[in-house]
Amino acid sequence: MNDTLSRRDFLKLGAATAAAAAVGAMLPPKVAQAAYTAGLVNAAGDGYIPSMCEMCVWRCGVLAKIKDGRVVKLDGNPEHPHSRGNLCPRGQSGLMNTYDPDRVLTPLIRVGQRGEGKFRKASWEEALDLTASKMQAIKDTYGAEAMVFSSTHNLSQPQFENLLYGFGSPNYGTQRSLCFNAMITAFLLTYGIEEPSRNYKDVEFILMVGRNMMEAISTSETSELSHAIDRGAKLVYLDPRFTKTAAKAGEWIPIRPGTDSAFLLAMINVIVTNELGDCDFVKQYVVGCESLPAAMRSYTPAWAETITGVPAATIDRIAREFAAASHHAMVHPGWRTSNFVNSFQTERAIATLNAISGNVLTPGGCLSADVGAEGAGLGAPPQPPYPRLSALRLDGTPWKYPLVPLKLGVFQELRDAILTGEPYQAHGWFIARQNPILALPDRTKTLQAFEKMDFIATVDIILNDTAWFSDVVLPEASYLERFDPLLPVDGKAYIRQPVIEPQGEAKSALWIYKQLGERLGLGDYFQYEDEEDYLRQQLKPLSASLEEVKAQGYAEMPEEEKSDEITFNTPSGKIEIYSETLKNAGFSPWPTWEEPPAPAEGEFYLLTGKVAQHTQFGTQNNQLLHKYSDEPRLWMNARTAAGMGLADGDWVEITSPVGKAHTQLLATEAIRPDCVYLTPGYGHLSKGLTTAFGIGASDSALHVTYTDPISGGQALSQTFVKVSKA
Amino acid sequence: MKMNLTFHPRFRLPLLAWILLALMGAAFVIAMVRYAVGIGAISDLSNAYPWGWWISFDLFTGVAISSGGFLMAGLVYILGVEKYRPLLRPSVLTAFLGYIMVAVALLVDLGQPQRIWYMMIYWNHTSVLLEIGICVMSYLLVLAIEFAPVVFEGLRWKKLAHFFHKFVMPFVILGVVLSTLHQSSLGSLLLIQPTKLHPLWWTAILPIIFFVSAVAIGLAMILVESSLSSRYFKRGLEIHLLEKVAKAIPIVLATYLLLKFGELAWAGDLGYLFTSGVMSVLFWAEILLGVVLPLIWFSFKRMRQSPKALLAGAILLLLGMILNRFNVSWFAVKHSDPLTYVPTFMSNVTYIPTLPEVFLSLGIFSAGILAFGLAAKYLPVFEDEHSQAHAPGGD
Amino acid sequence: MTEITHHAYLFDAVRCIACRACMVACSTENNIEMDKTRIWQSGVGVKGEFPILQRATMVYHCMHCNHPDCLSACPVGAYSKRPDGPVEYDPKKCIGCRYCMNACPFGVPHFDYDKGLIEGAFIDKCTFCPQRIDVGQEPACVATCPTDALEYGDRDELLKIAHARIAAHPERYLDHVYGEFENGGTSYLILSHVPFSELGLPDLPETPVNEVSEDVMALTIPFALSWGAVLSAVAAGVQIANRRSAAKAKVTEPIEAKPEEQTK
Ligand SMILES: Nc1nc2c(c(=O)[nH]1)N[C@H]1C(S)=C(S)[C@@H](COP(=O)(O)OP(=O)(O)OC[C@H]3O[C@@H](n4cnc5c(=O)[nH]c(N)nc54)[C@H](O)[C@@H]3O)O[C@H]1N2
Ligand SMILES: Nc1nc2c(c(=O)[nH]1)N[C@H]1C(S)=C(S)[C@@H](COP(=O)(O)OP(=O)(O)OC[C@H]3O[C@@H](n4cnc5c(=O)[nH]c(N)nc54)[C@H](O)[C@@H]3O)O[C@H]1N2
Ligand code: SF4
Ligand code: SF4
Ligand code: SF4
Ligand code: SF4
Ligand code: SF4
Ligand SMILES: [Mo]
Repeated sequence: MNDTLSRRDFLKLGAATAAAAAVGAMLPPKVAQAAYTAGLVNAAGDGYIPSMCEMCVWRCGVLAKIKDGRVVKLDGNPEHPHSRGNLCPRGQSGLMNTYDPDRVLTPLIRVGQRGEGKFRKASWEEALDLTASKMQAIKDTYGAEAMVFSSTHNLSQPQFENLLYGFGSPNYGTQRSLCFNAMITAFLLTYGIEEPSRNYKDVEFILMVGRNMMEAISTSETSELSHAIDRGAKLVYLDPRFTKTAAKAGEWIPIRPGTDSAFLLAMINVIVTNELGDCDFVKQYVVGCESLPAAMRSYTPAWAETITGVPAATIDRIAREFAAASHHAMVHPGWRTSNFVNSFQTERAIATLNAISGNVLTPGGCLSADVGAEGAGLGAPPQPPYPRLSALRLDGTPWKYPLVPLKLGVFQELRDAILTGEPYQAHGWFIARQNPILALPDRTKTLQAFEKMDFIATVDIILNDTAWFSDVVLPEASYLERFDPLLPVDGKAYIRQPVIEPQGEAKSALWIYKQLGERLGLGDYFQYEDEEDYLRQQLKPLSASLEEVKAQGYAEMPEEEKSDEITFNTPSGKIEIYSETLKNAGFSPWPTWEEPPAPAEGEFYLLTGKVAQHTQFGTQNNQLLHKYSDEPRLWMNARTAAGMGLADGDWVEITSPVGKAHTQLLATEAIRPDCVYLTPGYGHLSKGLTTAFGIGASDSALHVTYTDPISGGQALSQTFVKVSKA
Repeated sequence: MKMNLTFHPRFRLPLLAWILLALMGAAFVIAMVRYAVGIGAISDLSNAYPWGWWISFDLFTGVAISSGGFLMAGLVYILGVEKYRPLLRPSVLTAFLGYIMVAVALLVDLGQPQRIWYMMIYWNHTSVLLEIGICVMSYLLVLAIEFAPVVFEGLRWKKLAHFFHKFVMPFVILGVVLSTLHQSSLGSLLLIQPTKLHPLWWTAILPIIFFVSAVAIGLAMILVESSLSSRYFKRGLEIHLLEKVAKAIPIVLATYLLLKFGELAWAGDLGYLFTSGVMSVLFWAEILLGVVLPLIWFSFKRMRQSPKALLAGAILLLLGMILNRFNVSWFAVKHSDPLTYVPTFMSNVTYIPTLPEVFLSLGIFSAGILAFGLAAKYLPVFEDEHSQAHAPGGD
Repeated sequence: MTEITHHAYLFDAVRCIACRACMVACSTENNIEMDKTRIWQSGVGVKGEFPILQRATMVYHCMHCNHPDCLSACPVGAYSKRPDGPVEYDPKKCIGCRYCMNACPFGVPHFDYDKGLIEGAFIDKCTFCPQRIDVGQEPACVATCPTDALEYGDRDELLKIAHARIAAHPERYLDHVYGEFENGGTSYLILSHVPFSELGLPDLPETPVNEVSEDVMALTIPFALSWGAVLSAVAAGVQIANRRSAAKAKVTEPIEAKPEEQTK
């Protein structure tokens, strides 16, 4: 069989990886030695090494199978609470991100026009010097605030923040306002915590509001939900699309987009007016419980029916089922809650429902308020305090958006400030592990903002669209090739360690940021010799040695003692269904109904949403995922399509107020007649993505920028489009 | 060489030969491409349709129309019906060439042609295909032996020719046995597809049905060959013999009809006769063309005695029966349902033979015709030529 | 997991979320080319009319039949059935006739249509990951499944589990375990909420589809011998008869006939 096997070796892809194979083949001491002394790999360097997936932010534990210096298979680490031996398709495909023939393996410096994709290879010295000098020049001429920094959550974020705050810029763009601002802000204001953790152990009733858990996968939670359903727990799922979660739900409600809060408010109404809630019990914890009935009086199921299109009887029944399952029920907080400008109210209603049925309060209840802060209990390299930031944030937090937490920000608003030069002009953009060109709404606007920049540097592993439009591309080692700071989960600190040597010149973010920091005179913020030294400093408070952690995959953390009296980090110390903070900011103190705009005649809601085989905008070039992906098409209800004389497979033009896109039509029953849906992450501009380029259309080119004034969240479902035969 | 000199066929060798040679050349190129970059490069065969044109045309049809050989051999040698001897050699020759063509085609269709001989060493006794493989290979040998005398006579190695004549009998018997086996086994080949082959065709007695139809086809082929060759080689048509051959056809076809419909009735599949849409049509087409019409046709003495009618009737029968072979091995075989598959390359569930596929067969066929022509020209294939050759222009 | 005497899988279409992690896992574990696969998703997909909808998909790969038709059909015995379940294929024997593909009622074996003589065109199909199960690991596809829609274990155990699951949720499942009896029983057992045909599974009898063909093959040798005997007898008889009447006309003796002619 061996001869056939070697013939089937799909990893032999292009010169890039062939060369990489050569590199990997001779394992330099660092990787091999540790693993070898730990007995993980044999003398030949073959075996399993524990590490952590980075194909998405869930970060499951992996066991990487090494053969001849190459990763040949990734298995879920049974010991890791996020994988429990399983990996989702993206996790399984991880090694193809690492062996992607399109990997950027040396620093690149642009030679052609921006967006032309003409780069020359450069040494790290040159690339870092250039980047640092450009940043310094901008700082010297316009002030530090003229440099914008943006990055999507990842384990080296603390060092990224050191770089930007040390540098002295307040302008920090994260994915958050495109993702979960509504949820985080709502729960901060209501519970005083960012995101309640879910416990499916003995849940009986789950209401999910557009949390497509079966496709937007979080391996452990997806399997917990699935097992809960197997057990007989009832899942009620609200989504205009018949997603794979809808298919598993006991009840799928194709609610009208943007009207979830009406549905939920009506549920509250039913519960409080019929006293189905546990009000007496929660009084001591919940502010406003008494006057809640009055506040919710107008939100009757009958009222909600006219708005949501869901029969009042259904809403009433679901409310009662939910209340009946009290203490064993949850309304899932959701994750990407960036659908409408009223998504914040949706989240407030969710927080309220969980509160009044006592789901957050009972110890081991389905939602628990206690979530350990990241990095807590771990050591860190010493560093001086950040310089005081005087300049306003270009994204308007908090001066435009008083209630938006600083760490969340309002990424999508940055661009108007850049384009108008108000309150001041930004001149440089440093981007790491992020793809704003596709992640932000209104791609044209983002590109215009790029135009305005004197200098753009991007840290990525491939030539994603953003790197394609950058002046300098700094190649990071893939997550299988590098160390990252330890990540504490459930009382253990897990390690990401290189399971193979970095290919080409790729380096870890820890190294890149330190190098830049030192060149910018910020060395004090990066007081670690190298990655391993950083981890050792993290491990100081713990008993474990780095070698043990490398072998075991994690370090035990000391039990922090929990007090069983429940406190909430809100002004009142209680759950604030009624929020003075909101009132003082001039918003409704109660969860309330805000009518979102609706499409005009002949227009459709443009919906977005993940598919199980891809993460955002960064994996479409992964050949393994590409192999098992459906071709991205515009979903339209079959009968609507027929009515418009459109047939399945037809090429259509999609027109929004800010852009056009062309793609093929998928006529399906699985979507509301007034909606269309596009899979995000296609329609790439970068020709540096040989697998992904030319496939599908980008919904980011169509999305209009709408920002929720309270949470600063972008409203991705609020763009209305016309569809016509192309 | 006197005999061969006096015998002067004026068939249009040049023009025809050029066409044939061209086709052969094309086939050769196609085959080379296939060997270099794979079957997919020249055919529409897929995981949903592993077998296609080559199997239906070159194997199923090819073997069927080569059945004249064992019939004549059996008739003349075993039953000692000497008067058919004039038809013997041409039939054996066509069979011989026919089977060579089948073999060549299979060498293109096989994924590992260089391993064809594995069939001789690795035996899986439950495999119908193994039986067919063994039978066909051995029968080729037998045919070679049966035809050897003709060759040696052509070369005028009388001793050898004589020698082979002496020991031909056991081989003839072997040949008939082998033919019976694989002619029927071609039917058995489909027994393993009860869920894929349409009930109008799938039956446990497929082997018997195949054998009977093979006999009918063989007889028809004898008629066709004789009349065609008599034209090309400008020689007398053994009409008196052919009439008797034709006389046998209705009997065989009647048996066929009985078996076919008897089985359908017994299996309770008569319903499908009119309810299966295209399948019903294909079925009736094959039955009317290949069985009913010829049965009637050859029942008339008038038809049996007119050379033209003989030819026409035989061709009718052949068309029907060839359609039958295509139905059984292709048209009536249901492959994976057109469900939505992932990955997308799984969902290719249609099959339309490509030009290269067809031209490859044509090329091989051309080679056969050319070979027949040459053999007929340089070898004493038509024994009765001797007598005729002496009548006129004998020096 | 209990001691495994007959390796088998249990697939639950009610659980499967069609995430295809199993497929990616198989591709890497077994180093499958990018345009080939041993495991795929079939089914009619979304069925019904908005808003009354259902999903009907399954994960498809070799069923590892108890009476494999591929094995029965292969002329050169390239397939073998392990006593503990897995059906294996040996490319070293394969001649590439693709009869196994016709024989398999599930359309499982795939062929290298893109390979010439030098590379060599072979059959490929799910192997049951012997390299994993023989060292106590689950098959790659099963191991990674986040929903346990794919499970692995001893066939009898899995059958118990399957029937228990149906009994526990009769409203959710069809009361049938596909593969328990189909085609004489398979090692891939399937639970479903929709008719199995909508998952792309063939409607198969409990007797293996290769039964008739194997019965017929069993008759071959006896038939051949007796048929040969009959023919020889007839031939002999005819010869004698001819000899008797030989006096009449020597000409009818073929073997003398020609030499005479030639000597004219
Ligand atoms: N496979 C995969 N998994 C992922 C990710 C990935 O990229 N790929 N990304 C991870 C990240 S960062 C996040 S934030 C999460 C996101 O996971 P989710 O929170 O599930 O977000 P989406 O999948 O983007 O959208 C979920 C659903 O919202 C529906 N929807 C749109 N508008 C409305 C509305 O007004 N009301 C209701 N009820 N539904 C609506 C869409 O139809 C879509 O099916 O997934 C995480 N997991
Ligand atoms: N239209 C539309 N827009 C959306 C969403 C949507 O569903 N539809 N979802 C929103 C949500 S929920 C989120 S969270 C954001 C996500 O927005 P982003 O975080 O910008 O999107 P990603 O594709 O996750 O960006 C990750 C980038 O990091 C690169 N990368 C991958 N691995 C590594 C690595 O190891 N090192 C480095 N340096 N780079 C790496 C990838 O190539 C990719 O370019 O998008 C938001 N925007
Ligand atoms: S959920 Fe999937 S992609 Fe995300 S970390 Fe886990 S395995 Fe990796
Ligand atoms: S991994 Fe499990 S859930 Fe995902 S497709 Fe495969 S069987 Fe279905
Ligand atoms: S499913 Fe097909 S290939 Fe697999 S064992 Fe059964 S017959 Fe053989
Ligand atoms: S293709 Fe190979 S394995 Fe399949 S039947 Fe033919 S020889 Fe056997
Ligand atoms: S058992 Fe192994 S070979 Fe078979 S499908 Fe699963 S992973 Fe692939
Ligand atoms: Mo997100």
